[in-house]
Amino acid sequence: MNLPRILLGGLANLGLVMIFAPACEGLLRKVTALIQSRQGPPLRQAYFDLLKLLGKEDLESGQTPWVQRFAACLSPATALTVACLVPMGFPAPLNGVGDAILLIYLLTLSGIGTLLGGLAAGSTYSLVGISREMMTMIALEPLFTVTILAGAVHTGSLRVNQVLDGSVYATAGFPWSGLVLFGVILASFQAFVQRAPFDIAEAETELMDGPLLEYSGPKLALFRYAQMIRLVVYSALFVSLFVPWGSGLAFPIGWLLFWAKVLGVVLLVTVVAATHARYRIDQAIRFFAGLLAAALGALLLASYGH
Amino acid sequence: MTARERLGQLRTKFGSAIRRADVPGDHRLFVYVESCALKAVCRYLFLDLDARYVVSIGADDRPYSGGFLLAHDFAFDADHLLCSVLTHLPAENPKADSISGVVPAANWAEREIRDLVGIEPVGHPYPKRLVLPDGWPENAHPLRKDAPWNELPAGFDPEREFQFDDPPEGCIVVPFGPFHPTLDEPAHFRLFIEGERVRGCEYRGFMVHRGIEKLAESVLTYNDIPMMAERICGICGCVHNVAYAQAVESAAGVTIPPRAEYIRTIMLEVERLHSHLLWVGLACHIVGFDTLFMQSWRIREPLMWAAEKISGNRKTYALCLIGGVRWEITPELALELRQVLDRLETEWRAVAAAVSRDKNLQKRTRGVGVAGPALVKSAGLIGPVARAAGVEIDCRRDHPYAAYDRVEFNVITADGCDVWSRVVVRMNEVFESVRILRQCLEKMEPGPLQSPVAAELPVGRLGLSSVEAPRGESHHFVITGENNRPRRWRVRAPTYQNLQAVPAMIKDQQIADMTISLGSIDPCFSCTDRIETIDLKSGETRIWTQEELIRNLRP
Repeated sequence: MNLPRILLGGLANLGLVMIFAPACEGLLRKVTALIQSRQGPPLRQAYFDLLKLLGKEDLESGQTPWVQRFAACLSPATALTVACLVPMGFPAPLNGVGDAILLIYLLTLSGIGTLLGGLAAGSTYSLVGISREMMTMIALEPLFTVTILAGAVHTGSLRVNQVLDGSVYATAGFPWSGLVLFGVILASFQAFVQRAPFDIAEAETELMDGPLLEYSGPKLALFRYAQMIRLVVYSALFVSLFVPWGSGLAFPIGWLLFWAKVLGVVLLVTVVAATHARYRIDQAIRFFAGLLAAALGALLLASYGH
Repeated sequence: MTARERLGQLRTKFGSAIRRADVPGDHRLFVYVESCALKAVCRYLFLDLDARYVVSIGADDRPYSGGFLLAHDFAFDADHLLCSVLTHLPAENPKADSISGVVPAANWAEREIRDLVGIEPVGHPYPKRLVLPDGWPENAHPLRKDAPWNELPAGFDPEREFQFDDPPEGCIVVPFGPFHPTLDEPAHFRLFIEGERVRGCEYRGFMVHRGIEKLAESVLTYNDIPMMAERICGICGCVHNVAYAQAVESAAGVTIPPRAEYIRTIMLEVERLHSHLLWVGLACHIVGFDTLFMQSWRIREPLMWAAEKISGNRKTYALCLIGGVRWEITPELALELRQVLDRLETEWRAVAAAVSRDKNLQKRTRGVGVAGPALVKSAGLIGPVARAAGVEIDCRRDHPYAAYDRVEFNVITADGCDVWSRVVVRMNEVFESVRILRQCLEKMEPGPLQSPVAAELPVGRLGLSSVEAPRGESHHFVITGENNRPRRWRVRAPTYQNLQAVPAMIKDQQIADMTISLGSIDPCFSCTDRIETIDLKSGETRIWTQEELIRNLRP
C-alpha cells in the first residue's frame, strides 16, 4: 500500500465524479427534452442549479435541524466514498483499505442519508416518503449485495479490484448466474438511481419530493448533488460489475472506454425514465420481490460454480 | 316521452299537489308543487322514473312573489327533456324537506342554498357549511336580494377557523392541498390514511368563490354576463358563455341564426379538443409520465394559435351575445382551422396508438378511482366519468343545442369504470370532435350572426340550458328580470357533481392513487385570493392579507 497513490487516485476519482455528475444530469435533461420534442436546458444548467441553490437562503423548517444538517452532508459524503472504492478506468484507490463488504455498507448508508433527512424533517409528506424509501431499500438492498457476493464467490476474494471486474462472469463454464444478475440489476437500476418509474419516494405529483420537502438552499443542493453523484457512481459500479471489457487496456484508451460506457448507462437510464410512468409502491415492491427471488437463485447457481 | 306525457304521469301520481305547470316546448318542463310534496315528487322522479339529478337552485323571490323559490332540476336524457320542480316558500324562516336522503347527488346543492340563500334543508344528512368562508356569520346569506354585493356582513370574524371532522380511529391525517403540485387551484382534502390506504376524506373547497352569480344579479347586464361567465373556468370558459346565452334565449324565446349556431358549435368543439389534449397531458404528468405530457401539449399548441387567430384570444373567446355571436369565421380562418385539424388528427392517432399499447400506464390507471353505474346514478356524475362507466349520456345528443342536431358523431363510452376508461373515452372523443368540426366547416352557410332582440326581454321567465363541457354537463338556470339583468342565474359546472364523488372513488385506495383519481374527473376549482409582493430595491417581502387587499381595492 502506498499513501501518495491512494491520495492521488482518490482525488482523481472524487474530482472526476464531482465534476462529471452535474454534466451527466445535464445530459439526462437534454436527452429527455429531445425525446419530449422540447429544446431543453443547456448542458451546464445542472451546475448553475447547484450554484444557485447553494447561494439561496437556508430555511431550517424541519423538526430537528442538527440531524437535518448531518443528513444533508451524509448523503453526498457516502456517495463520494463509494466513488473511491470503485475502479474507474484504473484500479480503485481504496482497494487496499476497504473491501467489498465495506462497499455494501456504504451503498446502504447513502440511502440512509435520505431516510434520516426525511425523518428529521418530520412533515407528513416526508414521513410518507421515507416509509416508501424504506420499503424500497429493504427490497433493493439484497440485489447489489447478492451480485457482489456472487462475484466474490467466483473469484474467492473480497478485494474490490477483483470483485468489481466482471467477476460475475468468472465461472469455468457458461456464466449463468452472471447473466441472471445482469438482468436483475438492469431491471432494478432505475430504482438505485431514484429515477422514473421508481422515483416513488419523491413522487413530485404525489408527495412533493417526499423526504426533501422541508429542504431549501444549500442543504437541498447537497441532496440534489448526492443524487447526481449516485447516478454516476452506480453507473460506474454497473459498468465495473457487468461490462468490464476493455477496462484493462492502456491508460487513455481503457479510461476513455470506461467513461464512454458510463455515459451509455446514463443514456439508458434517461430513455427508460422518459418513457415510463411512475409505479405505485405496492407494484414496485412486488416487482422487486420477483427480482430478489431471481437473484437468490443466481447466488445458489454461483455457489455451485455456474 | 314528451314533456306533456311526463307531466301527465306526475299529475296522475300527485294530483292536486301539482299546483301549476309550464310546458314551453317538448324539451322543457316546469312543475310548481306544494312544498310538502317536494320530496315525494323528487323521489318519484329520481327513483321511479329514473330521471338524472342535475342541480338545485334557491332564489330570493321576495321582491316579486313575496317568498323564496326552491327548484330541483332533473333531466330525462332519453326523452331529450330538462325538467325543473319548483316550490314557493314563505318569506319568514324558509325551509323545505331535504332531498339528499333519496337523491345523494343533491348534497352540495342543498348546503349551498342554505349558505347563500338561507333556505334550510330539513333533515339533511350532513348539514355542514360548504361555500361561505370560515369567518362568515351564520345568519348572513349573500345571495338574498337585501344583501349588498360589495360589503362584508356585520359579525364577520377573520380569526374563526373551520371545524374539521375527527379522523377515524387508527388513521393519520394527510392534508392534501390547499396548495399541491397537482392541484391547479386551491382546494383542501383532509385524507384519513391508514398505512398507504385512504380510509376517508373531508373536503373543504370554495376558497376562491368569486360571487359571480351575485355580480350578475346586481351589477352586470344581460350582455355583460357572457363575458363574465366565460371567466368562470380557466379551461372551458366558452361552455359557460354559450350555456348562459342559451338559457336566456330559451327563457325569452329568442332564436338565433343558423350561422351563429354553427360558430358556437365550432368554438365549443375547439375548446373540447384543447381541453382533452390538456387533460391527457396532465394525467400523464400526475403518474410521472412527462414525455406524453409534453407531446400532448405540443400537439395542442397549434390549435390554441388557431383559436387566437379566430377569436383574438387563446381561450377566452368572448363569443356570445344574447341572440347570436360577436364575430365571424372567415373562409381563410376556416381553411387554416382545417389544416390544423388534419395535423392534429394524424399526430393524435400516433399518441392514441402508443398509449393503448402502454402496459405501464395501464398498470397505474386500471382499477383505480372506480366509479360504477350505481355511483354515477346516486351522485349524478356526468361527462367522461359517467361515459367511462358505460352510462351513455352526452348533452350534445340528449339535449341538442347550437348545431349539434345537424352533425353526426358517436357518443364514446367504455365500461371499465376506472381512470383508464376515462383516458380511453377522452382520447377517442378527440377524434369525434375533429369529425364534428369538419362537418360544421362543411355545412356552414353564409348568413347573419345576430338576431334582432327586443330592447326589453320578458320578465320572470325561466330558462334552462345544458351544454356538454369537456368535463361533463354544464347546466345554467336563469330567471329573467328587470333592469336588463336576470333575477337569478345559477351555474352548475360539471366538477360540482363529479367532485362530490371523489371521496367515494378514493376510499380504500392507495394514497398514490389519490392524485390521479382526483385528476381523472378533470377538476376545475377557481382562482387565487392572496398576493405577495417583493420590493426589488430593499428586497423586503410582504404578504397582503385579505383585509388589506380589500382596503386597497375598494374606494
